Amino acid sequence: MKIPRISPQALRVLERFIEHPTAWRYGYELSRETGLKSGTLYPILMRLAKFSLLETKWVTTEDGVPPRHTYRLTPKGGELVRSLPGTASAAAKVRRPAFSGGRA
Amino acid sequence: MPIAYPRRIAAVLLRFAIWIAPHDAHDWGRGMLSELNHVQGNWAALIWAVGGAGVLAKHALLSVILPGSRRRTLSSATEVFSQEGPMRKATLAAIGACIAASLFFFLVPIFRQAFHVSLAQWHNVIHVKSVFDMQGPDPDPELETLARKAEKNHDAEGLAFVAARTTNQSESARFAEEAVHLDAKLTWIYAVVAVRYPSLPEIDQWVPILQQSDPQNALPNFIVAQKIDIEEIDRNQNAGHVEEKTAIWQNVMAEAFQSPKLDDYLARLTELDRRVLLRYQVDDPFQTFRDERWNNRPSYAAQDSSFYANSLLESGRTLRARGDRKGAFEKYLTVARFGQMLSPADWDFFLRGELQAAYKRLGAIYEGEGNKVEAAFYTSLANQTDRAQHEKLISLRNRVRGSGVSRWNSFLVKASGLVILFSGGLLLTCGLAIMVRGKSFRLSALRPSRLTLAFGFFGGIGALLSSAVLYVSYRPYAEILQRFMRNGDETNLAELYSFLDTTQLPLGAQGFLDVWQFVLYFWFGVVLLCIFALLVAVLRRLQFNARANAAT
Repeated sequence: MKIPRISPQALRVLERFIEHPTAWRYGYELSRETGLKSGTLYPILMRLAKFSLLETKWVTTEDGVPPRHTYRLTPKGGELVRSLPGTASAAAKVRRPAFSGGRA
Repeated sequence: MPIAYPRRIAAVLLRFAIWIAPHDAHDWGRGMLSELNHVQGNWAALIWAVGGAGVLAKHALLSVILPGSRRRTLSSATEVFSQEGPMRKATLAAIGACIAASLFFFLVPIFRQAFHVSLAQWHNVIHVKSVFDMQGPDPDPELETLARKAEKNHDAEGLAFVAARTTNQSESARFAEEAVHLDAKLTWIYAVVAVRYPSLPEIDQWVPILQQSDPQNALPNFIVAQKIDIEEIDRNQNAGHVEEKTAIWQNVMAEAFQSPKLDDYLARLTELDRRVLLRYQVDDPFQTFRDERWNNRPSYAAQDSSFYANSLLESGRTLRARGDRKGAFEKYLTVARFGQMLSPADWDFFLRGELQAAYKRLGAIYEGEGNKVEAAFYTSLANQTDRAQHEKLISLRNRVRGSGVSRWNSFLVKASGLVILFSGGLLLTCGLAIMVRGKSFRLSALRPSRLTLAFGFFGGIGALLSSAVLYVSYRPYAEILQRFMRNGDETNLAELYSFLDTTQLPLGAQGFLDVWQFVLYFWFGVVLLCIFALLVAVLRRLQFNARANAAT
């Protein structure tokens, strides 16, 4: 497979997903973990979902609070992302934010 | 606790963005909106909303530009990370359409001709030797092919055509003799070749033939006079008076001044050109082009005429002083008649002073005799000389410089030709860059960067626009050429010659005298750029080595 050119921002997001492939993640949580603004994060998430690499669902966390949109890699997404050569080494170069939030 | 205004504004902004966003982005918008409740800080919430709204607005815009984009299956991991997919495709499609449209122009024969004309400016820049070598321009391969065909077919007119154009003197003489040998009616081609190459030894044999075939024409006399002038210059003999000239020179000039006509054979040559170009299906406009600015006249004719006319005026003055009014009248009248004979071909341009003097003196003689009518006639002719001279000067200047319209069209043709070349180079470079970057020749593997796309887009647009400008600017001249070739219609042919004449000058060169300077500066610039590029490459290499050393 040809090595794709992945932006450092996309790598940050993938890194979060690869660490816990089965966990559902919130948008704001990913934003804080990766240090990405919503304008950068959501296009990446939308692209991954467009190609069925990411699944989404609405979850209700507590009464009176609107449901939240959550994201998780699909099995196909996990397989494909893991197959990207150099992803781990490239991800290692990405600055890790100090904050690491909880998981849904 | 009341919700702070920034958070309120953020919510309104995101709701509006969701409203304008396409249907498939609504979930994402609502997701951003729900996250807004968890963003810590009011201003952070606003920033979150601005970013999210931007994403949704972008999707809304894309759905307007490219409606109907659907979910598709994934073919490779590379596709996931391709940025701005739809926009990239649209740009690529636009570039492809521009290139296809530009190439479509090349299917039109007039456009191919126009492109060929636009490249003429580069001839002197590339063939540097022809600019600095006084021996003349390089051989013309197309003319050589035509010469071979004409020889093979024993085509007298074809050979005469080549004789009038080839830059090789001895070949020109040989072709002329072959042409006359095949068709005796073409003896006039000797005069054309003799005017072009005045030192040819064959001229001595040609002149009697010319005088026999066209006894009333003054042109052979001028040819002989010019040959004598050149031989005198070669021997460093510079005659100050007519009496110091050889008897042959004096005789031929006396005959020239008595000749009833002067035919430079340009009309016959133009008609011959047309027939030959049609016969050999030559569509190169430069083959129809001849430098008509100075007509087909010997270079020394003006000087010789002036020299001889002054001697006639001087001897007329002497005769008048001796009281020989009739003798003086004859001398002045010879000059005046000669001037009238030259007038149709504009040869009298260089004899303004002599003609004016002859008219004035003729008027004075009639005045002395009391013949007021004749005196007034010659005085009026003398007075008209200056105005006629001024008009001919304007006409000559227009012929030399070309009209404003032809100069402007020539500029457009040269500039658009240059842009086509530049755009072609840019597109080629972009194509190579994409292939090098993709490390593959497969179309599916080629992924251009935004910068490459931008350059490609400008290259495509440049190629298309300049092709259109080139076609529109050249078309009128193609029509003039076609009318001439098909019907012999010479209307605006001078305009075509003027246009072609200016088109041969490199863009930026003001005149033929500047060409060598332009060529010099051009190549100097190219060398400087190469040196600069080399220096940059060396510096980068040194910088790279220094970094590598520092890392180790």
